[in-house]
Order: sequence, then structure tokens, then C-alpha cells
Amino acid sequence: MVLKIFFPQCCNRAESGLLVGRWISGHDSAVVLAVIHYPFIPGQVKQYIQQMQAQSGVELTVLGSWSLPKEGQESMESFLRDLSTIFPQQRWLQVSRQMGKMGFICEVVNRNQTALAPPILLTKKQNEEEEEKVIFVHYEQRKVMLSQLHPTESGDPDPNTEPSSELKQVFQTVARSQPLFFLDRYDDGPLKSTHWQSEGREASIIVELLKQASVPLCMLISWLLALWTWISVSSVSCRIFSLYPLRFLSSKLSTCVQISYRTEHMRTLSSPKPAAGHKQFMRKGNILVSFLVDVGLGILLMSWLYRDDHIATLANMLMPAADHVAKELEELLQWLMGAPAGLKMNRALDQVLGRFFLYHIHLWISYIHLMSPFIEGILWYGGLSVCLGLTFALSLLSDMVALLTFHIYCFYVYGARLYCLKIYGLSSLWRLFRGKKWNVLRQRVDSCSYDVDQLFIGTLLFTILLFLLPTTALYYLVFTLLRLVVVLFQGILHLSVDFINSFPLFAMGLRIFRPYRLAEGVKFQVLCDEPGTALHLLMEINPLKCSTVVQTYRTPTYSCYPRDSWAALVKKLFVGELIYPWRHKSTKAD
Amino acid sequence: MGPDGAPGPAVPWRKVLWERQPFPDNYVDQRFLEELRRNEGIRQYRYWAVVKEAGFVGQQLSCVAIFITLWLYMEQSLLPPETLLWSSLICALLGYGLHQALTSRVESCGEPRTHLADLQSAAIFLSFTFGFSPVLKTLTESVSTDTVYAMSALMLLAHLVSFPYAQPSPPGSLSLNAALFASVCLASRLPGALHTFAMLSCALLVFALWPCLLQTLRENAPVHFTGVCMGVCIGGIVGLGSQTLGGAVLLTLALASVTLLCPFLLVRLQRHKDNIHGPWDEAEIREDLSRFLH
Repeated sequence: MVLKIFFPQCCNRAESGLLVGRWISGHDSAVVLAVIHYPFIPGQVKQYIQQMQAQSGVELTVLGSWSLPKEGQESMESFLRDLSTIFPQQRWLQVSRQMGKMGFICEVVNRNQTALAPPILLTKKQNEEEEEKVIFVHYEQRKVMLSQLHPTESGDPDPNTEPSSELKQVFQTVARSQPLFFLDRYDDGPLKSTHWQSEGREASIIVELLKQASVPLCMLISWLLALWTWISVSSVSCRIFSLYPLRFLSSKLSTCVQISYRTEHMRTLSSPKPAAGHKQFMRKGNILVSFLVDVGLGILLMSWLYRDDHIATLANMLMPAADHVAKELEELLQWLMGAPAGLKMNRALDQVLGRFFLYHIHLWISYIHLMSPFIEGILWYGGLSVCLGLTFALSLLSDMVALLTFHIYCFYVYGARLYCLKIYGLSSLWRLFRGKKWNVLRQRVDSCSYDVDQLFIGTLLFTILLFLLPTTALYYLVFTLLRLVVVLFQGILHLSVDFINSFPLFAMGLRIFRPYRLAEGVKFQVLCDEPGTALHLLMEINPLKCSTVVQTYRTPTYSCYPRDSWAALVKKLFVGELIYPWRHKSTKAD
Repeated sequence: MGPDGAPGPAVPWRKVLWERQPFPDNYVDQRFLEELRRNEGIRQYRYWAVVKEAGFVGQQLSCVAIFITLWLYMEQSLLPPETLLWSSLICALLGYGLHQALTSRVESCGEPRTHLADLQSAAIFLSFTFGFSPVLKTLTESVSTDTVYAMSALMLLAHLVSFPYAQPSPPGSLSLNAALFASVCLASRLPGALHTFAMLSCALLVFALWPCLLQTLRENAPVHFTGVCMGVCIGGIVGLGSQTLGGAVLLTLALASVTLLCPFLLVRLQRHKDNIHGPWDEAEIREDLSRFLH
């Protein structure tokens, strides 16, 4: 059997005393948490330990004794052995350090054996006996206390259940015995102890003040949120039917979606309950930090926008841009109405479609010109929302792009509908051509005998559709490409908004500046392996990988939901079904 | 049954599996080949009977030739569409009368189509064809003529291959559709919309209605059937000969090989037929199962 003793590094040079800690249940190991120095009254030590146990919920015990001989001090071996009778334990550790030597010497006294025979015989010295080996694992108490071992348990961790892994138990024990460490070196108590010392409570006054101030702030925010929710809910529910288009529109506009996200985030932040569990805490931290960064970036952008009258420049640029796009589209349509790329199209259908789309562009241009006097105002007031964050600016931009390219969307929809109709017609008429039909009940193709007139009309239509298909397909292809360009641009905007919303900035900051806070595991390093002393290992914390940090702590947004695969998208494009860029949002709203 | 040993004459081999016998599993005795039978249920064809049946294939080939001839005349504007329409109408009426006369003589089996349904079908044909003929006229305008010809040839070939020669009365879907597709393709190359309309009506007559009439003829008046087939074949050859002599020669050769050479080969090769049957064939249920269905 190997006995593992987890020993805090800060106690290496502590004066002699009692080792306070905990035996890890189910494993042959002990965690030393602190050293209580001489002189003490045993009753007070017991009382203190009980008090600490009640506060922290850790089964604290006196593990054994610790002796660091000083010059001119006689050996206290007999005294130390006597101590074990004062604090009755199953096993009693006698850890001692000798002058000028690195390693510790550990003696393990088993109580039930001491009762039977003289202790001197049954005291097992490590350098003599090979039966029970002792390994000292030195750990840095502060880092272990603050770090969170991954992977964390899913769901709510029950503080009363013990984790199975030994390492996890060690980490949990150290983390939960935090009240033990509040005993200050300068406290005038009956007990003096050595453990990791906090930097004193004075340093945290600012934090305490902030905590005090945050309560009314949170209450204010939650009140405002409740008001906002009430307004939005009541406006939707009162006239749900008359406002249906509004609701539909709001689920399509990315600004509205962003508002709803922010509302939810703020609700999470401003909830008066403290964060339950590590995950919740990290989530709150992530949301807060990304919100602050977002607002900071937004204010930077706003200061640039409103400084040199950039808004007016932008508005003046928008009109010629829209005109230019319309002109390009017109040229494209003229090209399509000729013989594009040497393709032979059906002239009559080509002319009809081309004129239809040209008329549509004409309508669109008149609409834009009608709008032009108001665009600057809209931009100016819309730009104010940038102070809510960069994500709002990006969402607004995405919405404006969607509105300004509405004609392209319309073209796409017309083209896709026409193409879809042809494809479906052709597929069913092709079945008729072969004398088959689609059996709806059995979901398969059955043979069927048609009448002569059915066959005649079907073949007539099949021929017509087949010869008209290339023309429609070309229009569909061109407008789908245009639409895909717009969708790509919007997708980039959405992705960046989503990135700001969901990137775990707080967790990344912790990972970079306090790598030990998020631990993935530990590594051991041999400190000294002198013959005659126990093996000494130094436990170091392996920080979590950055990719794992992002994966674990990203705030869930719509990009986390499963999406159409590329194959499905290509199939949709081929069949002519509409690819809805905002599809995932609408399904979520449903 | 005694212990395993050399099979004695006392234990005769039986062709059963449920009994343990002192023979290996694959053992058969001398009686095995006694049950061999050859060419069971073979039909002995007579040459002229086969030629008569092959006449249907030949006349279908000629029908395609006649249709192509008509199209050639139309394309060169030698045949005005009005003439074609009127003659088609007269042919249709005559054929309809003949069909009615033939079917009424046999005390129609099954439920007959009413005159109203026939009229309805005719109205649908005419109105759709007339309505779509301007569209069909411009349909293949931008497609190359060679492509259209190739497509038509392919489709007519598909029509001939997939035609249900044994039972053409409800016309086979694929054959009729292929023929109609080909005629739409060809008709769209004609100079005017009325040409297209006339050509399509003619196609309907040749490919959809004529096989039905011929089938009734074959069932009810087999004597006249042979004559009609001969007439159609000769008509096809003459018609094609008036346009292209080479085409007529080719058609004659094809008809001769289909109606004369192929039956001859069939009858000759029948002698070499050697099918063996025996107890090794898979089981064949001869009992009439229809009584279990009810």
C-alpha cells in the first residue's frame, strides 16, 4: 500500500504542531490543510475543528503531528507520540523534518496495533520498512483552492455527494475548507496556525463596496426589464391578431432578435440570487464581460460616427450605391434577354421574364427615391442605438442590407417559385411519361394505366415544360447567385454578432491571466527522491486547453442549434425550395 | 434399419429424405434419367401463321413511315394543313363508324364507352392541341434542327420498341408518349401554327386511335386484318417512295425482314430447340388457386 499525503507548500517551514486535514474516503490518502502550532489546549483545538467542520462541511480531523526541530531544541518524540492518545485516530501520522535535509520523515502509527503491543516495535519507519510507502505530494494551497477541475459535472452538483475521483476529492476538500483559511496570522486567538494566508480583509473593501452597490443596481435593472417585458408582452397579447405582421417582422429583423437576446442576458445578470455552481458563475461572468466589451466597442464606433458628420456622408453614399446596384441589375437582365453565354433560350419566355423583372427594378428605384429624403434621419436616429453595443450596430446594418436588397430577394423568390413549379411538374409528368404514378398512401411509385387523353395532355405539357426549363433555370441560377451573395454578407454579419454574443471572454481571460483557475488535470514533478526519506512530488496544475474553454463556456445562442447540412442546402437549391436565411430564428420563435 | 454397411440388395433406395437410409446423401440410382423429358409443351409454329402475326409489326413500322411522309409533305408546303385536317376528320369519322360497327356486332364485353365520353375526349384533344399550337410552334425555335431530328428519331424508335404488339388496345404509356413527344418535336419545325395543329391531330390519329381500331379488326374480322396490314405496308412504301427513293427501299427491306425473314428464322431455329425437364426442376403448382381467393 502506498499512502499519499497531500501537503501544502506553505507549511514546509511551519513551526512544529498538529496537522489538520482530512482522510480521503475510499482512497489511501490524506490532505493536510493547516498546521496548528504549539502551545495549544487540546480542548480548544477540538472545539475549533468542530466549528470549522460545521462551517465548511468538510470532515476535518487531526491527522498527526508535524515537527520542525530548531537548534537547541531537544527531541520531542515521546511528546509527539503521546499526542496521539489525546486525539484518538485510526492512523496517526508523525511527519518530521530534519535539519539540513530536504525530505520529510513520516511514521505511521496504527492505533489498534498500538493497543496490542509496545509502540516502539510497531512504528514503521519508512527507511527501514517497505510495507507501507509514503508519498508526499506538495501542492500550492491557494491555486488548488481557487481552481476548478474539469470536466465539471453536468447539472447541479450536489454539495453533499462525494465525487468518485481521488483528485476531485482533494480539490473539493481544499476548495471547501475556505473558512479555515480566514484565521489570520495576526489574529489574537487561542490558536496559531500556518496555512495559506489571504491578503487580509482590508484589501477587499473595494470589492465589498462594489457588492453593496450592485444590489440596488441589479434591482433597478430588473425593474426596468420587467417593465420592458410587460410592454412587449402586453402589446403582443392584447392585439395578437392585428399585430401578427409586426410579430412576424420582429422575428425576422436581426435587431429585434438581438434585443431579445440582450434582454435575456440582462435578466440573467440582474437576478438577485447568487450564482449556483461554477457553471452559472462563469456564465454570468462571460455575459457581463462580453456586454461590457460590446458596449465599449459600440461607444468607440459611435464617437467615430458622430464626430465628423460621417452619418451624412454615409447617407449620401447610400443612394448612388442603390442606383448603381439597380443599374447593374438592369444590365444583367438585358444580357439575359439576349443570348447569354451563347445559350439558346426560348425567346418568348425570355422576353416575358426579362420585362417583368425590369418593371420590378423600376418599381424598386422609385421606392428608393421616395425614401431618399428620410434616409439621413433614419440613419442618425438608428445610429443612436449603437451606444447599446457593437452587436446592435451590426444587426442594424444587416437589417438595412436586407431592406435595401429586397428587390434581389423578390427576384429570387419569383425565380425559385417558377423553377420549383417546373421541376415538380416535370418530375410528375416524367412518371406519367413512363406510365407510372406516385402512390401517396404507400409512398412509392406504382404503375398505372392512363387514358389516352390523359397521356396526350401530359405529354404535351411535359414537352412544353422540358423545352422551357433551360430559360427558367438560367434566370433562377442568376438570381440565386445574387441572393447567395447577399446571404453571405448577412451571414458574416450574423456570425460576428453571434461571436460577440457567445464568446466566453471572461473564461478566456481567466485562462490567460490565471491559468490555474481552470484546471484540466495535474502533473507531478519529482522534488527529491533521497534514499531514507519518502518520495516527494510537486503537484502542478495543468491549465485547460483554450479550445476546451471556448467549447465549455460559450453562451448558447442560435448558432449552437443544429442547422441544415450543406448537402441539404444544395438539394434545396437544386429543387428550387426557398433557402430562408433566417430559418433557424423563425423555428426558434415558433 | 441395420447398422451402416455396404448397401445390400435387400434395402432398395427410396427417394425420400425423412427416412435414414444406408446411402450417401447425393446417391441416385439407375432410374434417375428415366424421368427426363424434352421440349415439354412446345408450340409448333406454322410459317404463314407467324407471318400473319408479324404483319402487325410491319404495319406499325409503316405507320411511322406514313407519318414521316406526311410531315415531309407539310414541311415542304406541298400539303396544305386544311387538306390534312379535313382528310383526318373524314378518316376519324370513318374509323369511328367502323369501330362502332365491329364492337356492336360482338355484343360488347365489359362496359362500353359512351358516345358522350368519346366526344369529350375528342373535344379535349382538339381544344388543347389548338390552344397550345402557337406555344408549340415557338417551343424549339432556338434548338438546333439536328437536335430536334435526333430526338424525334430516338423517340420514334422508342415507340416502335416499346409498342405492346400483343395487346395494343389500351395503348402502352411509354410508346404513345414517345410517339407524341416525337410528333410535337417534328410539328414545332413546321412553318405555321395551323400546320402544327394539323400535324398533331394526325399524330393522334396514327399513333393513338389507329392501333385500337386495328386491334378490334384483328379480334373480330381476322380475314380483313391481313389485307389491311398489307395495304398499310404498301401505302407506307409508296408514300415514302414519292419523297425519297432510298427511304422506300430501306423500308421495303425492313418490312421484308420483319414479316418474311424473321418468321422464317423462327420456324427454322425451332428445330434446334432442346429444353430438358425432369424431377430436378423446381416445384410447379398446377392446381387452380383461384378458389382460395374467395
